[in-house]
Amino acid sequence: MSGTLTTPQTTPRAAPPGARRRRRMPLGKSFVAFILVGLCALTIFPLVWLILTSLREQNTIFNGPFLPKQITFQAYPRAWTATNFGLHFANSVWITTVTVLGVLVFSTLAGYSFAKLRFPFKNLIYVILLSTLMMPATALIIPLYLELKKLGLLNSQAGLILLYVSGSAPFAMFLMRAFFETLPDELVQAARIDGAGEFTIFWRVILPLARPGIAVVVIFQFLATWNEFLYANTILQNTGALPLQPVLYSLMGQYQTDWPMLTAGLTMSIVPVILVYVWMQRQFVAGLTLGAVKN
Amino acid sequence: MSSSNKTPLKLAASAFGSQLSRRTLFKVGGVGVAAAALASCAPSTPTAGSGASGGKTVVRMWSWYTQQQDLFPKVIKAFEDKHPSITINNRLFGTPDQYLPALQAAVSAGDVPEIFAPHTRALTYGTQGVSADLKKELGSSFLNDFFPPTNQEYTTGGKQYAVGFMAQTFGLFYNPELLAAAGVNGEPETWDDLIAAAAKINATGKSTLAFSANPTTSAGDFFLPLITQVSDDPTYFLKLDQLETGFTWDSDVVLKALQLNDKIVKAKVFQPGTTGTAGAQAEQLFYTGGAAMLFSGSWSPQDFVQNAPPEFVKKYKVMRTPAIKSGARHWTADQAGAGWSVAAGSKAKDAALEFLKFMYSAAQYSPLMNGSNSMPSTKSAAALIENPIIQLMTSWLPDGCPHIPFGAGSAAGLEPLAKIFDQKGSPEAVAKEMQAAVLNARG
Amino acid sequence: MATKNSLAKSSRVDRVRPARRGRRRAGSSWGRLYGAERIAGYTFLVPTVVFFAIFVGWPILYAIGLSFTNWNGFGPASFTGSASYVRMFNDPVARRAFVVTILFALSTTVLQTVIPLVAAVLVNFVWKALSVVVRTILFIPAIVSFVVSGVLWKLIYDPNIGTLNQALHTIGLGQFAQPWLSNPSTVLPSILVVSLWGAFGLNMLIFFAGIQGVDPTLYEVAQVDGASRVQQFFYITIPGLRIITAIVIALNLMNGFKVFDIIFVMTGGGPSHASDVFGTYLYTLAFGSTSGSIPQLGYASAFSVVVMVLCGLAVLFQVTLARRANR
Repeated sequence: MSGTLTTPQTTPRAAPPGARRRRRMPLGKSFVAFILVGLCALTIFPLVWLILTSLREQNTIFNGPFLPKQITFQAYPRAWTATNFGLHFANSVWITTVTVLGVLVFSTLAGYSFAKLRFPFKNLIYVILLSTLMMPATALIIPLYLELKKLGLLNSQAGLILLYVSGSAPFAMFLMRAFFETLPDELVQAARIDGAGEFTIFWRVILPLARPGIAVVVIFQFLATWNEFLYANTILQNTGALPLQPVLYSLMGQYQTDWPMLTAGLTMSIVPVILVYVWMQRQFVAGLTLGAVKN
Repeated sequence: MSSSNKTPLKLAASAFGSQLSRRTLFKVGGVGVAAAALASCAPSTPTAGSGASGGKTVVRMWSWYTQQQDLFPKVIKAFEDKHPSITINNRLFGTPDQYLPALQAAVSAGDVPEIFAPHTRALTYGTQGVSADLKKELGSSFLNDFFPPTNQEYTTGGKQYAVGFMAQTFGLFYNPELLAAAGVNGEPETWDDLIAAAAKINATGKSTLAFSANPTTSAGDFFLPLITQVSDDPTYFLKLDQLETGFTWDSDVVLKALQLNDKIVKAKVFQPGTTGTAGAQAEQLFYTGGAAMLFSGSWSPQDFVQNAPPEFVKKYKVMRTPAIKSGARHWTADQAGAGWSVAAGSKAKDAALEFLKFMYSAAQYSPLMNGSNSMPSTKSAAALIENPIIQLMTSWLPDGCPHIPFGAGSAAGLEPLAKIFDQKGSPEAVAKEMQAAVLNARG
Repeated sequence: MATKNSLAKSSRVDRVRPARRGRRRAGSSWGRLYGAERIAGYTFLVPTVVFFAIFVGWPILYAIGLSFTNWNGFGPASFTGSASYVRMFNDPVARRAFVVTILFALSTTVLQTVIPLVAAVLVNFVWKALSVVVRTILFIPAIVSFVVSGVLWKLIYDPNIGTLNQALHTIGLGQFAQPWLSNPSTVLPSILVVSLWGAFGLNMLIFFAGIQGVDPTLYEVAQVDGASRVQQFFYITIPGLRIITAIVIALNLMNGFKVFDIIFVMTGGGPSHASDVFGTYLYTLAFGSTSGSIPQLGYASAFSVVVMVLCGLAVLFQVTLARRANR
């Protein structure tokens, strides 16, 4: 945890660098920890159910006990083959990665521009871009479909990616602007005095300091794109091109649902997101504080 | 400032004022271009549009009929072996809600899949020219093999816009052991008999008739046949559905049906919380022994095979919907929820029709239905049914009556029905609300 | 525009350039100074703006245009002027949906701002190892989409076999067991819980990142001055998070106005429109079977326009807050 103090008036119990001071309330931390653990239990419960269901026989899901008597992993290979998991997983990885990269490029540039640069009509453009966030997605499906058809981008992953990047960049830009605004203007001005060009300032001075912001954007965007369903389902007609989520959802049938297979598929699909999250988490720690910047 | 005859890029580059930044600009620009190039180099699959794809005719088939998902590939392969120039592209969605936006978008763009499940849009798409008139395309000798109700529901103005695929009837599945334990002998013939039986079954601590009134279209599966029972006329609801002159939702007939429904609910025939129980949960209540009976359609046997304990699958039975009085017809909800329409304007229409005829031929259609424990729509396949429960339920088709609202705004008329099931409104008030809701939804 | 000139001018610029933001150029001499900056400003925006115009702006205009017609998604469309909006005003379902939309948006905003904020502070407070684990676990619900969590929770809320009622029975509180999702008085709170469950992790993450950005020297100074931890929370942490809080509020408001997935999956807008919001109603009008057999895209688009206006107000609110925070 960065941004903490190092004023040990009492000897710290555990002594990681930058440990918080423990003054009068050693109990305080345990109490808070207790609350948090309880919160975690409540939070994780439905997902525990999800995983347990993937390990059961199908006809014990709703009448069996909470912890299944017999554990079987056979839903996993079934899910893998029945949904052609490998192919759609690869599609998802591809589509999501390119989208995240695209969004990063667009949003860091734009966010920085709004945060640190001055130019006329800035606020007007900003508000217009933000209108992206204001329309319900379901209302835009048909207009988008028609437009993509005109542009010849229907039924192609490229079209879907363009759609994702265009629709998500403003939100990410919104976040990045906020993070950039927490960085002091003096940095920019000092760099200008030193003769750096605008892009250099962006690329070498400001961007490295925005790691927490970038980490948040990557997490948000990866999640959003990985889980997206409606547009992928509508725009891609060829089942081979579909990403993972639409394929998994189609396991939720109108009349019957193969719960073990569905939950097995969902469990497998969650893994990459967790990996990305854990990876990005480190950016918070490696990230900056204003104090570091001042030095 | 920007009034220069240099290009913006050169301008920007020179204004940046340092070799370093120009390089990095190009680096970033390069990355951006590379990303765009990568994106378009993605494994783009050929458009599965109508017409040819590499010399072959592609026929797209869209539906949510996941019950046959393991069986379709066999039928498709058999067809493709016989017709090497035609490729069938079968796309299965999970539920209608996942399917309808995709279908509608395709229809808006004028690129309708060659064969598609029309849902409740069957008649509208037909009259608007989206789907083809199958009386003309498939011929009456082909259509005569179908049970009349499955043809009628898709017919308007003398033209038929879809064929039934999986037919349905509804019945009361029951657990003989629980009935016997409550002292109920035989199968209740009328609603009054059922009410009397409910008193006994409830006394043993079980619910009598598990039922899902959620979503409201499921509630309609129970209620709408009552309209036919009260009027003893299966065409009554068809006219009401289209709001023909003289037919309103607050008419006497509908009111009587509501009162009957109300009486059944008041007698605690259903489990508590019907409006909160989804279809799958009603089935679970039944096969976990929480309820002695289940009001459901002929898709349930397949669900039982997949989800219920094997001993249960061996012992449950099914009986007809009770009649309104002794000796009256046991009007049973019977419309095919699942059908196929053919795109009118597609270049691959003929290939699509070929495939349809193939799929409905005895050698293909019967295994498709038997393999998924589904009820066939054709008489010839009905003769080959293997599952005795399905066989029994199919025999009720002659007493079939409508239970699906196809007309504009009709589905909205079902929503006030929840008040009857929740005992939160009187039949008179609910009838008026139904009429108002339908008019409101029609706009 | 020559590079040497801008370099030479920079020292003079520094003396005279005021340190105020948002100041527009006042004349040609300023023009040259801000030249590089302005060009960079626009250039950096080009990708975002261009793609926005093509893939977002145009469809939005199209959808707005649709709201003035009676298009059904295929076939001919005719211009109907403000008929859709008049109809919306008179439609009891729409009126009810409006109330529910506002209620839902406000409730989720309050819950999903305050609780994650407190949680972020608590998580910041405990030992580092526990903090990482807790952060990951609390974040996991956000990983599943709202569709999946809607399906999961729908099972939990099931009146007969759902875990919630079963748990209540087991611990002796059986009289509280309800048909949660089909009782009009409990359906909205039930959905709120699920929304909070899913949105909690992300919001907490934003706050957590924001807390990292608060200058630690402020805490040092405060501690030297003898401020208690609670006081530090209220006088340093909270004000430091002002901008971020405004953002989280605005985002939650907008998502609340636009909400669709979670409500549709759990109740479809029921029972009897008790949980119908603009997002779900517009979906059933455009695609669902409630519109009967005739989709009503024109009317549905009118709802999306109203949602857009509401979201615009939310953004206005955030921008005003942010501007006040910065001055």
